[in-house]
Amino acid sequence: MHEHSLIANLLSKIEAVAQQERAEQVVGVRVWLGALSHISAEHFREHFVAGCRGSVADGAWLEVEHSDDSDHPQAQDILLRGIEVR
Amino acid sequence: MSEGTRTIEVNYLARVEGEGALHLRIEQDRLVAAQLRIFEPPRFFEALLRGRDFREAPDITARICGICPVAYLMSACAAMEDLCGVEVSAPIADLRRLLYCGEWIESHVLHIFMLHLPDFMGYPDAVRIARDHPELVRMGLRLKKAGNAIVALLGGREIHPINVRLGGFYRAPKRADLLALRAELEWALGAAEQTVARVSALAFPDFERDYEFVALRHPEHYPMNTGRLVSSRGVDLPVTGYDDYLQEHHEVHSTALQSRTASGGVVHLGPLARYALNRDRLTPRARAAADAAGLGAQVCNPFRSIVVRAVEVVLAFEEALRLVDAYREFDLPALPVELRPGVGYGATEAPRGTLYHRYTVDQDGLITDAKIVAPTAVNQAVIEADLRHYLEPNLHLPDDTLRGVCETAIRNYDPCISCSAHFLKLDVERD
Ligand SMILES: [Zn+2]
Repeated sequence: MHEHSLIANLLSKIEAVAQQERAEQVVGVRVWLGALSHISAEHFREHFVAGCRGSVADGAWLEVEHSDDSDHPQAQDILLRGIEVR
Repeated sequence: MSEGTRTIEVNYLARVEGEGALHLRIEQDRLVAAQLRIFEPPRFFEALLRGRDFREAPDITARICGICPVAYLMSACAAMEDLCGVEVSAPIADLRRLLYCGEWIESHVLHIFMLHLPDFMGYPDAVRIARDHPELVRMGLRLKKAGNAIVALLGGREIHPINVRLGGFYRAPKRADLLALRAELEWALGAAEQTVARVSALAFPDFERDYEFVALRHPEHYPMNTGRLVSSRGVDLPVTGYDDYLQEHHEVHSTALQSRTASGGVVHLGPLARYALNRDRLTPRARAAADAAGLGAQVCNPFRSIVVRAVEVVLAFEEALRLVDAYREFDLPALPVELRPGVGYGATEAPRGTLYHRYTVDQDGLITDAKIVAPTAVNQAVIEADLRHYLEPNLHLPDDTLRGVCETAIRNYDPCISCSAHFLKLDVERD
């Protein structure tokens, strides 16, 4: 359930950046998952693919970096590192 | 970078605001509206389930939430087995209870140490607590890991269990594998008792409310997988009676549906409700921990839910040890489940409260209708009522202070949006 709202949040940011950059399409997304973010890369991917359907990021490749450092200052967080647009 | 594309660095922190938003309207120092918006994805999955084979319901619904997938698996199995007239054998029921213990531990420990404790200790998050109290956070992580180990062993992997099926499991574990968990569970039981002592010493706001508590109740055990639906106002129904008792209404301010009793009453689900209705079913050490923490017959201060959650962690470890010790390998990890078209009902106790599933299945075994009521959706009305009562005398406080108080009050219910350290978009309209 939290994944769903998470993806919605992320997607609205992706859409805002894409619009700001006057991009037609988002072709790639890079994400960083903190060690305490309690989501696996695989599960994140599934929700991402489902959540992006019909959006500007539909079909985009996804690169997920999963940190295992629980002392990292952002260990509980998920970061949208960057996007690739056309 | 491929041709015609550009890379844009963002480094945007997701999960800061989540989907939680609270709208307060204050007129002449009076609170006239407190509306909480919570996004509620089970609707999306209900649509997704239509036309799917009835045997797929547990695995599909388990994807709804990475924090409580076992709850979705168990409620879906309960509903489909109810439909098909299957009652699982005692060894299967025990293994399912053990799996559920694993999830309660994971979810409660995550909530206590990572999300709620920072509020009470005055830290922005657990990472910051760890700087001053590294042993505390380390204990939390090790406790959670013990829960993960149970889920991984029975479910086949840590986060999304894949070993559960209608009628039981694909594969039952080896006795030796379960016994290998024993030493860590022993340590964890002691650490869980320490956790109860530690959180019960926190300072809590002086705030109590008169709730209608609702939870399952089982003839022998503290409720997890099965039981009748009971309330502190005397309701006692089989799970098939859920829809007569709790009904969903659409609230304009939220994408979520709000559940109320047929007469418009607001109910409270979760640890406080389970505790109030099943205190007599606590395991011995969990009861001793509750007594030592000064918890009476019921706890009506929602901020003390962190203490009750810790008591439930003691219970879950105690139960896990009992089930591990009693486990004997058996031949039939799953009972055969023959399709019977009709309507099936299932409810189990997710860490955050009763999770209800209802499915209609046709003669080809396809789902024609699915209804999933997540505990957060039911609790939404009681969260709003808490906020109204709590905020009324505190409206003079600055908005930032109000936000902190509101976040803690909402977190009492452990809604899934609480995954973020600071999730609340607060909008105050003062007049
Ligand atoms: Zn959940």
